Amino acid sequence: MVLRSIRMAMIAMLGILGITALPAVAQKPATGTKVTQFMGLEGVKPKAGGTITLDGGNLQFTSPKGNASVPLHSVEDVVTGNDSQRVFRGAIGTLTMLAPYGSGRFLSLFRSKLDVITIKYRDADGGLHGAIFTMAVGKADPLKKEMVTQGAHTSIPIEENASSSDSKPDTAKEKKP
Amino acid sequence: MKRILYVMAVLFLLFGAQLKLTELHAQSATPPAMKASAIQVRMIHSDSDDVKLPADFQVSLYENLIQQLQKQGGFQHVYREGDHNADSATEIVVLHSTVRGFKKGSELLRNVTTVTGKTSVKIHCRFTDKDGKDLLERDLDGKVMFFGANLRATFDFAKKAAKLAHDNFAARPAS
Repeated sequence: MVLRSIRMAMIAMLGILGITALPAVAQKPATGTKVTQFMGLEGVKPKAGGTITLDGGNLQFTSPKGNASVPLHSVEDVVTGNDSQRVFRGAIGTLTMLAPYGSGRFLSLFRSKLDVITIKYRDADGGLHGAIFTMAVGKADPLKKEMVTQGAHTSIPIEENASSSDSKPDTAKEKKP
Repeated sequence: MKRILYVMAVLFLLFGAQLKLTELHAQSATPPAMKASAIQVRMIHSDSDDVKLPADFQVSLYENLIQQLQKQGGFQHVYREGDHNADSATEIVVLHSTVRGFKKGSELLRNVTTVTGKTSVKIHCRFTDKDGKDLLERDLDGKVMFFGANLRATFDFAKKAAKLAHDNFAARPAS
């Protein structure tokens, strides 16, 4: 009797695990990177928060402020960098500047670090576009690696770029032997 | 003593004003440029190894410039670099921009000290016709001195460059 109930419980547990595991496997390619599109994507408002998904050789940006898709083979350059921003931004950030006894200045000392990805790509007419994305620290290099794997080009090799502390211009590549 | 200082200050101001007037006169003395219905913007590069322009600044300069040219109106079409549609355009000017100086400041320093941490970029703008003949050359700058992120300097430059293009080449009045 006890063995039977244990067997039943095991089967039920396996069933539950199977059901929960299946969607996880199915959603794997769709998991994206949370970013803020600072500027540049056609049809998307600047500073729009959204998700980048790399799927089927396309960079998909989805956000409530608009969606965009860029074929990765048309991406001519991907460069990562880093930056920082005020913790208190926007309207609240402006109000803190008016705070008395220099407390606004003190609050501006609180900053959060960011990773930045800059891409250059061509549209269907051959026109050159650029787009800038900011994201949490540590997210840019894996995203760049995945983009290059799926067909994007870069002027700075990934290993070297990962070790650098700041974004490099195109000239950085030309200097190398 | 006080009077001497006062006179010196006035003379200094007059001298500065005269310099500015001379500069303005020289600028206005340039021959009237052609009117164009379209403009093509080339990607902004630095021509020297000494000037290291980060990729995000480069893209921000380019995108802001295109955005401001579209916003100002005056041109029927604003083409990007490499756009095939620009090949068939007849009345078109091409804007080549070269970065001559760049200093990345610090937003933190600006916020804390107010007077330091300025970000500035100096860009040489060259307008040519379709065949590459020079029409107008001018040095412009973009800077952020007090409020805003470093990339705001690119917006400042874009506004000035769009105004320059509009004042000299736009066929239609500003919208």
